[in-house]
Amino acid sequence: MEEFNGIDIARKAVDLLRKAGADKAQASLYRKEKSELNVDAGAMSLYRTTANVSMNLTALVGDRKGSLSLNRYDETSVRAAAAEAVDAARSSLGDSANDISPADTPERRETGDTDPSSGDMYDRLREFVDYSRRTYPKTVLEQCILDFENGASFYSNSNGAEFEERSGRYDFSAMFTTKDGRDVSSFNYSGASRRSLAEPLKAWGGVDELMRQSTEQTRVSSVEGSFTGDLIMAPDSLGDFLQQMDQIYLSDHALITGTSPWKEALGARVVSPLFTMRSEPGGPGIRIGYLFTRDGFRAENCPLIERGVLRNFTLGLFGSNKTGKPRCPSGGAAVIVEPGDSSLPRMIADVKRGLLMARFSGGGPADNGDFSGVAKNSYLIENGRIVRPVGETMIAGNIASLLGSVRAVSSERIDYGQAVLPWVLAGGVTISGK
Amino acid sequence: MKYEDIERYATLFKGYGELRVQENRQTQVTLWNGDVVGNANGSQAGISARAFVDGVWGFVSSPESDEKAIRAAISRAADNARFLAAREGRSLRGGEAGVLPSRAGRGDHDLSTDKPRRSRKELIDFVRAVDAYCVEKHPGLQSRSLHLFCLGMEKTLLTADGARAYSLIPRTTLYVGFTMEAGGESIELYDMFGGRGEFEDHFRDPADLFPRIDSLAENLERKGKGVYAKPGTRDVVLGPDLAGILAHEAIGHTVEADLVLGGSVAADAMDREVASPLVTLVDFAYEALGETCPVPVWTDDEGVQARDAVLIDKGVLRSYMHNKDSARHFGVEPTGNARAFDFSDEPLVRMRNTAILPGSSKLDDMIAGIDSGYYFQRSDSGQADSTGEFMFGVMMGYEISGGKLGNALRNTTISGVAFDMLKTVDAVSDDMDWTCAGFCGKKQMIPVGMGGPAIRCRVNIGGRA
Repeated sequence: MEEFNGIDIARKAVDLLRKAGADKAQASLYRKEKSELNVDAGAMSLYRTTANVSMNLTALVGDRKGSLSLNRYDETSVRAAAAEAVDAARSSLGDSANDISPADTPERRETGDTDPSSGDMYDRLREFVDYSRRTYPKTVLEQCILDFENGASFYSNSNGAEFEERSGRYDFSAMFTTKDGRDVSSFNYSGASRRSLAEPLKAWGGVDELMRQSTEQTRVSSVEGSFTGDLIMAPDSLGDFLQQMDQIYLSDHALITGTSPWKEALGARVVSPLFTMRSEPGGPGIRIGYLFTRDGFRAENCPLIERGVLRNFTLGLFGSNKTGKPRCPSGGAAVIVEPGDSSLPRMIADVKRGLLMARFSGGGPADNGDFSGVAKNSYLIENGRIVRPVGETMIAGNIASLLGSVRAVSSERIDYGQAVLPWVLAGGVTISGK
Repeated sequence: MKYEDIERYATLFKGYGELRVQENRQTQVTLWNGDVVGNANGSQAGISARAFVDGVWGFVSSPESDEKAIRAAISRAADNARFLAAREGRSLRGGEAGVLPSRAGRGDHDLSTDKPRRSRKELIDFVRAVDAYCVEKHPGLQSRSLHLFCLGMEKTLLTADGARAYSLIPRTTLYVGFTMEAGGESIELYDMFGGRGEFEDHFRDPADLFPRIDSLAENLERKGKGVYAKPGTRDVVLGPDLAGILAHEAIGHTVEADLVLGGSVAADAMDREVASPLVTLVDFAYEALGETCPVPVWTDDEGVQARDAVLIDKGVLRSYMHNKDSARHFGVEPTGNARAFDFSDEPLVRMRNTAILPGSSKLDDMIAGIDSGYYFQRSDSGQADSTGEFMFGVMMGYEISGGKLGNALRNTTISGVAFDMLKTVDAVSDDMDWTCAGFCGKKQMIPVGMGGPAIRCRVNIGGRA
């Protein structure tokens, strides 16, 4: 990609917003070029290259706010958009919580490749398809996507905050099902992000192990009856629970509307002391981080939960101003869960009756943290041993209670590039069959 | 705006190709507890071209839509396809895998409103008026969330096999969600207003919404006093909302032809009995039971003139949903199910308006026929699997005891295996509801319609022990 002077465009957009009548203004711009190879039903199917620009303009007129997004950046379009954003602000309701980030020293960062090699991408994906066919001949690759995204993000506001980040990264995801005669496994998937193609794709995320497990899951049966048992959350399913925890307990919406059960718990113990979760967009544990937050602050690593104690919500600037609670210095993503001193085999040995769950299929949890859903791609554990794969088996519980009852965290972790997660053993889950 | 002279680019196609010029426009207004926390307009506009060479696809998109960009996209899409074909060692030269079936659609369908357009301020004032009623009439609520979402998808399409189609399909929804405290916990419930059409087509006076707002608050009150469902397999009545999501998630996804090729359990079920004879399930293209569908598709994004796909006819699996490539693979006619969300998205096999058809039973009789079970009224989520195993989140429902409705229920989840569960259906109600608020996620998001009557069946319930 030729050098794209996005920071100059963002500065001009802020200037146009001010000229249109904004008292404060911010502009962010993201330009990307993506090259993507697809495998469908086990066969190479599509080579796709896309380009786009996303520009977001925000105007504050007094304490009234209006926003507009567009995918053009020529001066005529931006001028019209700036006028519309200001008009939107004037049509809105004032709120003293509306603001933009303060001035900061401009910073620029560049990471990763800038130009993908289509040939190298093809070779890596072909290698993976061939490996899968050879190693798991009954497993169908429903869809695999390997893409390279060369992106450039820019932020500027009328207080003088400016950031610029150019970043190249590869993303890989594989979704697969094993079919043995008429018996079919549940689909499963995994993937990861990397800065280069140095590693074979089978090593990205949890792909290889989950494909191996898939071959064991074509014939499953439900657990018998209903019981309260243990749950070992594999990293892929742990990630889903942590996203739900963020939504219900830590996010802007939960705190602003007052529904978060942890709204008064900052600094208090909320989950097991074995559980520590950090947000580290600056690395070094996270390979694919970010330089600045969506609301225009330099992203700084911070703990979210430290040995069970709530250290940070994931509030942005507006949420922080609105609630009077501290803004999350990191922006809340790029999550690392600290490893424990157990191992997956020891955790399995510690379970009297329960499940090892690779994937959870459930809707969003209730506002009180209650969840229920189907344990997919999962195994029944009895007396410390994996007994068999299960199907039509449901689990129910409460997210805070689940993380409060953590008994062990594995030393093994999976590096997804944008998160690093272990296996976690917790108790007190309702497990029910047909 | 319609791209008037798109046909002049037809000569640029070398072999099979597509050109799409598209703009998606959005308006969003969000209120949390009366505060305007979201007030945004957005537009994503651009072009895409796709080429099919020796059995593989090349695709290119660009936010630029001038002639130079269009010419470059058409050329580069073919280059991309040739690159992949060459690396794969394919050289079919128009052989069996190189020829796609065709049923070219032509026509214009503009569903934009003919009513005077409201200003942004009027939209915000409307949502605020609804919120003001909520807080005045129902002061005991813990929180209120309202989200107005207006989406307009405008596409002009040209294909090498002669399709030329234009469509502008708007959708407007207003989400109203409440929480209340019950026993020290937050309990939530929401309702959706609107559907196909623009704001002015659905929302005239905030007071028109008040009866359903009151009903929402009353249901939340009942839910606050509700009980948890008991786990296990039970007799239940699924209301139309759940029957619609059943049609989409549990059955629809397993019979999307790309997922069939990917290993879905439906691969071995064609022309076999997969459901009770009471069950007929159709993915409608643009008209159902004499009415325009929630998400009408006259010509799909591969230029195929769309037809209804009768998936299950009186209990027997009769069809999959196809794009051109899967229709070629299976040796059948394409159904017009290829759809793309943004200009930069390639068409995938997607559902349109998927519904179980009404039967002849009465809902009250269906409930009266259950001695011990549940009536599940509203769902808030759903997922499906290649095995046909599905899961739905249930946010509103009631116990049934002795054929009568009892306590309201707290949130629960139900599951089953579609082709097993559908065989347990022993009654289908004679009425039907559509929803036009859902998006389906499968690589891309896409608006879908779902519909159905109430059905009586047996499902697994993931309640508390």
